[in-house]
Amino acid sequence: MSPRSRTGELEQAVLETLWSAGAPSSGREVHEKLADRDLAYTTVMTVLDRLVAKDLVVRERDGRAFRYAPRLTRAAMTAELMHEALEVTGADRDQALVSFVGEASADDLAALRRALADLG
Amino acid sequence: MPTPLVLGALAVMLAGPFPWALSRWHGLRRTPSAAMLLWQSTALAAVLAALGAGLSLTTDRLWVPPVATSDVVVAFLAGAMTAVVAARLLLSGHRTGTSLRRMRRMHRERVDLVARVDGGVSVLDHDLPVAYCVPGMTGSRIVVSRSTLTSLAPAELGAVLEHERSHLRSRHDLVLEAFTVLHLAFPRWVASAAARQEVEVLVEVLADRAAVRSGERRALLSALVALAGSSAPAGSLGSTGSSLAARVEVLRDTRSHRSQAAAVVLLAAAILALPTVLVVLPWLTGLHAG
Repeated sequence: MSPRSRTGELEQAVLETLWSAGAPSSGREVHEKLADRDLAYTTVMTVLDRLVAKDLVVRERDGRAFRYAPRLTRAAMTAELMHEALEVTGADRDQALVSFVGEASADDLAALRRALADLG
Repeated sequence: MPTPLVLGALAVMLAGPFPWALSRWHGLRRTPSAAMLLWQSTALAAVLAALGAGLSLTTDRLWVPPVATSDVVVAFLAGAMTAVVAARLLLSGHRTGTSLRRMRRMHRERVDLVARVDGGVSVLDHDLPVAYCVPGMTGSRIVVSRSTLTSLAPAELGAVLEHERSHLRSRHDLVLEAFTVLHLAFPRWVASAAARQEVEVLVEVLADRAAVRSGERRALLSALVALAGSSAPAGSLGSTGSSLAARVEVLRDTRSHRSQAAAVVLLAAAILALPTVLVVLPWLTGLHAG
């Protein structure tokens, strides 16, 4: 498992800021909130644009600038990931993620319980 | 010897009846590593035999004078068929590879954004228990939910994580991907669906074995009960075709199957080696001589 990249870590910090803001923020506001990280304003804007390109953040025009907001709340994004992990579509995309255990029938569960019981 | 005919017959055998029979031999799962080898060599031999049949038919007609117009036509058709088979494989490989990698990258990026990291494992804050891995060359992740951490005993969690680590370590995703590529390239007329399904079972069996090796069977079985019992959507109970029953059966079996394993490995080697030695080498030698 490779460590997360610095860009990934920056994206996380910016998204955290947007999540805690509660309302759409301007790039300037995000930059101010991340002041202790000593980032250039353009770096923050680049990260925001990248998050928009990844469809994780939506932006709306506000006068001459943009305001940014997360597309999903943290809970909703978690739910989306859980859905992708649990989803049994029977299609080829199932193989993108490898689950510990997929769909289980009543017979499967009965067989499992018997095997456990036999171990004593 | 009519090389194209032998190779053609071999390709048909290895693409249809043979894998079909293999997928029905459930005892094969008791020697999962050897079985995996056999499936891979069968698939590779089938592809090579199919390509070889077309190529040797082309050369048969063109290398030996006199070359009649009909020979040119047959050679052209055979060459075109071979090119179609090769192109389908390449195209399917490209499509499958790009789409899998894209889905995995997008999933992994969002996991990194919302999950907390605990001992190298990404933890999603959710009430449903789940455990899976996101394979990848540039960064794989093992993901569990908070509920998995709270509902499993330490030994059970250890077994689950070892199972997932084994998937990542052994690059089971690449094996599955190869069989997906074959299936998408040739979805009909060949037993590619059965092959892929069986290989899916085998990677789970292999990961289970790895988890049991470093822990105890009880922990893995009770983890399976805990995660299978709660994560299945209510409407899907009673569905068939899951690999779980097969995994339980292999886990219960503690006997040694050395002789079966040895025989299966030999068979796997023979399937690849015999056509090469008996058919392809003479054909290539003939080309040089001619």
